[in-house]
Amino acid sequence: MEMLLMGLCMAVFGAGVAAAAFGAATRTESPSSEAPPKLPLVKAVVPTRFFSEHVATPAAIPTREVPLEVLLLQIENHVRMEQAAAESFLAYPTQAQLHSKTNSPFVN
Amino acid sequence: MAYELLNGLSSAEAEQVLLLGARVVVPPGTSLFRLGDPADRLFLVERGRIKLTLPVSVRGREEDILVEERAPGQAVGWSALIPPYRFTLTATAALQEAELVALPREALLEHFAGHPAAGHKIALNLAVVLGHRLHLFQTMWLREIQRTVHTHSV
Repeated sequence: MEMLLMGLCMAVFGAGVAAAAFGAATRTESPSSEAPPKLPLVKAVVPTRFFSEHVATPAAIPTREVPLEVLLLQIENHVRMEQAAAESFLAYPTQAQLHSKTNSPFVN
Repeated sequence: MAYELLNGLSSAEAEQVLLLGARVVVPPGTSLFRLGDPADRLFLVERGRIKLTLPVSVRGREEDILVEERAPGQAVGWSALIPPYRFTLTATAALQEAELVALPREALLEHFAGHPAAGHKIALNLAVVLGHRLHLFQTMWLREIQRTVHTHSV
């Protein structure tokens, strides 16, 4: 009798475990389920460099070089403009004249 | 022709000074003298323009950069009267042919000794030329310093 009862209990327990496992396996996600927990933001992993953490910056893009003749002309015009400004200052010396800015493309 | 260096001299006095010199014709683009050359003659520009340049290194090349230009009536090469008698600039005829009166230092000094009044006036005129240039370059230099200060403080 005891053996029968024990076997019955084991059978019921086994059936319960099996039912629970089946239910867990076949359960579908309901759309109204809770929002998934927010994960902490992780920075994008930057691949470390083997020898140095310093990230090499790309070489400066060379600006278009002004032709030498144009540059020399700019310098000459700059000198002429500066002389004119200096002459103007000497004719009527004021601090404003002295510190007036030049429009020379050579220095702007 | 009115020469800045002969200001205040009578026409006879000016003529006497001019007779000391010889006319020099410089083709366009040709040097009258170069930086460092011995300065034994003072020049008065008669015709054309003279570019005064200094060597500046530009992109690894030495280029003559204009620092001043002298027009008819103006003097060039006052280093001939001031020790150590070396030109401190290069003088070149600009786009056109230039004609100048070249006055040798020795002849000028001898003339000044014999005509002190004329020598005194010429010396004063030379001081005016030098003073003007000094003020001009001082102003240009100060403007450059001001620009540098501005650039560094921005």
